[in-house]
Amino acid sequence: MNEFEPKIVAFVCNWCTYAGADLTGTSRIKYATNVKIVRFPCTGRIDFMLLLKAFSEGADGIIISGCHPNDCHYTSGNFHARRRWVMFRSLLDFMGIDVRRIQFSWVSAAEGAKWAEIVNSTVETVRELGPYSDYQKVADFLKTEVENG
Amino acid sequence: MDNVKKRAAELLKSEAVKVVIGYTMGTNGKPRAAFIQNAEDVDSLIFNAQCVQNLAVYLSKAEIKQLGKPAIVAPLNVLRAIIQLASEMQIQENELIVLGVSPDGELIDFQNFSAIEKYLEDFNMEVDAKEKETLEKISSMSLEERWKFWNEELAECFKCYACRAACPMCYCHKCAVEQNKPQWIPVAAHRLGNLEWHIMRAMHLAGRCVNCDACHEACPKGINLNFLTKLMLNDAQEEFGYTGVTLKEGNLLSTFKTNDQENFIQ
Amino acid sequence: MSRIGVFVCHCGENISATVDVEKVAQAAAGFDDVVHSVDYKYMCSDPGQTLIKQAIKEHNLTGVVVAACSPRMHEPTFRKACAEAGLNGYMCEMTNLREHCSWVHDRTEETTEKAIDLVRMLVEKVKNNKPLEPILVPITKTALVIGGGIAGIQTSLDIANCGHKVILVEKEPSIGGHMSQLSETFPTLDCSQCILTPRMVEVAQHPNIELITYAELDSLEGYIGNFKAKIRKKAKSVDHSVCTGCGDCWGKCPSKKIPSEFNAGLGSRTAIYVPFPQAVPNKPVIDKSNCNYYQKGKCKICEKFCKPGAIRFDQEDEIVEAEVGAVVVTTGFDVVKPEFFPEYGYGKYKDVITGLQFERLASASGPTLGEIRRPSDEKVPEKVVFIACAGSRDPAKGINYCSKICCMYTAKHAMLYQHKVHTGKSFVFYMDIRAAGKNYDEFVRRAIEEDKVNYIRGRVSTVYEKDGKLIVKGADTLMNGEPIEIEADMVVLASAGISNPGSEELAQKLHVSYDRYKFFAEAHPKLKPVETNTAGIFLAGACQAPKDIPETVGMASGAASKVAALFSQPELKREPLIAVVNRQMPPVFSSCVGCFLCETACPYNAIGREEIKDRNGNVIKTLARVNEGLCQGCGTCVAFCRTKSIDIQGFSNEQMYSEVMALLND
Repeated sequence: MNEFEPKIVAFVCNWCTYAGADLTGTSRIKYATNVKIVRFPCTGRIDFMLLLKAFSEGADGIIISGCHPNDCHYTSGNFHARRRWVMFRSLLDFMGIDVRRIQFSWVSAAEGAKWAEIVNSTVETVRELGPYSDYQKVADFLKTEVENG
Repeated sequence: MDNVKKRAAELLKSEAVKVVIGYTMGTNGKPRAAFIQNAEDVDSLIFNAQCVQNLAVYLSKAEIKQLGKPAIVAPLNVLRAIIQLASEMQIQENELIVLGVSPDGELIDFQNFSAIEKYLEDFNMEVDAKEKETLEKISSMSLEERWKFWNEELAECFKCYACRAACPMCYCHKCAVEQNKPQWIPVAAHRLGNLEWHIMRAMHLAGRCVNCDACHEACPKGINLNFLTKLMLNDAQEEFGYTGVTLKEGNLLSTFKTNDQENFIQ
Repeated sequence: MSRIGVFVCHCGENISATVDVEKVAQAAAGFDDVVHSVDYKYMCSDPGQTLIKQAIKEHNLTGVVVAACSPRMHEPTFRKACAEAGLNGYMCEMTNLREHCSWVHDRTEETTEKAIDLVRMLVEKVKNNKPLEPILVPITKTALVIGGGIAGIQTSLDIANCGHKVILVEKEPSIGGHMSQLSETFPTLDCSQCILTPRMVEVAQHPNIELITYAELDSLEGYIGNFKAKIRKKAKSVDHSVCTGCGDCWGKCPSKKIPSEFNAGLGSRTAIYVPFPQAVPNKPVIDKSNCNYYQKGKCKICEKFCKPGAIRFDQEDEIVEAEVGAVVVTTGFDVVKPEFFPEYGYGKYKDVITGLQFERLASASGPTLGEIRRPSDEKVPEKVVFIACAGSRDPAKGINYCSKICCMYTAKHAMLYQHKVHTGKSFVFYMDIRAAGKNYDEFVRRAIEEDKVNYIRGRVSTVYEKDGKLIVKGADTLMNGEPIEIEADMVVLASAGISNPGSEELAQKLHVSYDRYKFFAEAHPKLKPVETNTAGIFLAGACQAPKDIPETVGMASGAASKVAALFSQPELKREPLIAVVNRQMPPVFSSCVGCFLCETACPYNAIGREEIKDRNGNVIKTLARVNEGLCQGCGTCVAFCRTKSIDIQGFSNEQMYSEVMALLND
């Protein structure tokens, strides 16, 4: 059997982390293929429901990344996002959802190398944690129910 | 309570209000909401420790709004809800007369909303010690245990949305759970749908919940869903120094401080 | 039913070397609603774009996904191409197979699989795209230029000469910047002031330029074409409309021992002062922190001697507001401070000086009137050591970059010294000589060959004082690392150029990015060197990275032409990627309940209120409404809206939801 390859989705802002990840590419810094990026205008735009959707659709890990505090292209989207995450993270943790699988980070447009590090370390963390079958099972419940009529 | 009744009768008689929202004794021996439109009916108004339903929920219901300008019998929970609703532009000072009641049923006069705010300052909206203990108990479980605990707790939910109907803050005409473009939350009452619904509910109430427990009281399955919102309230206080409902402070989640914690961000 | 076309680019070999592009195109052809899928060597080339245009017409496409490079690079290109073929440009999405895939992974099956997933995501997203039309907004045709050095001067003159208004803000009492401090300039050795001061005067006299000196930007709000700037005019304590600049006041000022900033600390000035004789404006300000009256409550000698009566002790800082359509940042650079070089004794030994101080010694307007005399005893130094790369290219000191100008000015300094002190001996310690530029290498060769400057390839480990001499210890790496010791009379450090203090704060006020060294970040290192990531804000000069005068002037003209191009349009077309509140049939009108959490969250005050009234004019509902001139499209409101009533065009709930679902459902 093949080694478990975690599926990781990254929700990033257009101005800092997306640009930072572009720089990782321009600098030809290699990282794991497990992460796929979804581009948002700003971390402030990232709806917490999308994180839940990602888990229920089979993501084993999630990266959320945007501009450093004070550097938001829109001045304060990242501050709003940060406060939302504090609450959301606490709620998930309280409900037994594994927040170790969600990596929050600030990666600026100049931090191409940092982006590669974030990706690689998240892949490693999630690889060690294994597939998020607990959550996926909850979602499978739906599918089997439908299938069984 | 006599003063409350007397004021209610005056208001109805003078047509200053068209309806008085208060508590009356239900047929099952439990208090229920009353909507009194005639001055002669004010005697049926009661107030006691069992009057826990948050009457503020009716302020945004179309059926009640149709009746005309209301007065509302308002113990602490209702007062908090009124201020929160006002901060969210859902009610305005001139559209409502507030008949404040003290825990022992005495009438408290409020000239305006800021008088209510001032009154509320003396009552910290806190998760009480016993509830905190429960929060801590759950938090101290292992991740697997917490997951199991909530899965079992929420397994009972059959999505009747009584919690939503009872909550004074759930005044939206079209709840996100009913959106289908996209379908954020599966409709059926299975584990995933239940989990997502309750997470969303708690997040939408973060910094808005007035800790009245109306949701829990309304739940036919007795699910401890109020502990999710209590956790949010507790976090809000501990993390952000949130002191409770005010007209000025702004909503907890739509405001920020530049030094909010971020030790979880790499 | 969507009809989607997928166009997979090889990018020469940039993508195809690691991603099996044919396989990606084949896989995409199998996706639901994809009716056409091809790969091509260069999608962005003319034939590549034609390929897309033809396919749109032939296959009647309703959506296009271009799998190529970063959308930050070519999204406008492909959206334009689609529009030319009659497909609304916003029905085109890009997925990033280059920066986010081929360049960061090896050629493996997983890499191709990932590429296929990335295409699938965007195919699903584009199915939910909606045709959009650009928003037209008016442009205020006035530019704000921040910083009055040579970059700001050139930018201001170029914009003003195009017929547009310019507000030039300078924080010091005079414009001129570092260039006004220089003696001669490389590679021609023409006098810096001689070429600069006429331009300073031109700025002051230009009818289109409003010069505001001794002032700083307080805040900037708004967006391209429509900024609102608040400028803090620091109190000059002198009414310049009355002052004649006669100089009586500074001649009588009793505080005379204040180190002169203009002379890099080598000379002194008074508390009421003009920084240098050719200053523009040539009228004084009072430096409150050094003025007897402000500090001790009495003096007012200047007031007594001022014949026109221009002194205003009660003057306060004033905030002026200005509406501008574009901003050019030209705030320049700084050099590292004494504490940076404990090993070279800078700050400890008077005769260890910086390059900028040497400029002042060599300058005819300097404290020694152009004679090279060392600061400690005003003797003419017989042996001078120049240390290049003092701080630059030194990771141990946290400065990894090359300061770019030092090789050239060090050669110039040594040359000037040799020209002025014929019996003197000069030594230059260097790591590499970087003299790339027109006539630059020839200039350095001249210093070595004609002026007999001794170039030693090696680093200096320490400088210390012994018997009135500065002992410079180093090594000559071209002589097998042989230790060298020179007994010098003066040491000149080619100290590293660094970002200006306060640049981080300014960047935050302007909402532009900066790099790890706090230099302002250009939008693209090659193709957008004068733009920032914030539309309408441009950069010129050393605030972006250390650079010399010709390069600064070139960049300044570049930034000016960008501003002029912007101002040449009657209106600005803005991307319609903004928030909208949904509208439905009465009696619902909208799912918005009017809680206005979005209003408190919006960073741009772009959310207002809309009252829905019945026939009798009674308000029946109050909804949120987005001001499309103010909305910048961050989408923070969207994540706050509990009822999902507010959504953002281009990154809508349906689009993002579909993208996430597609990413994982395989």
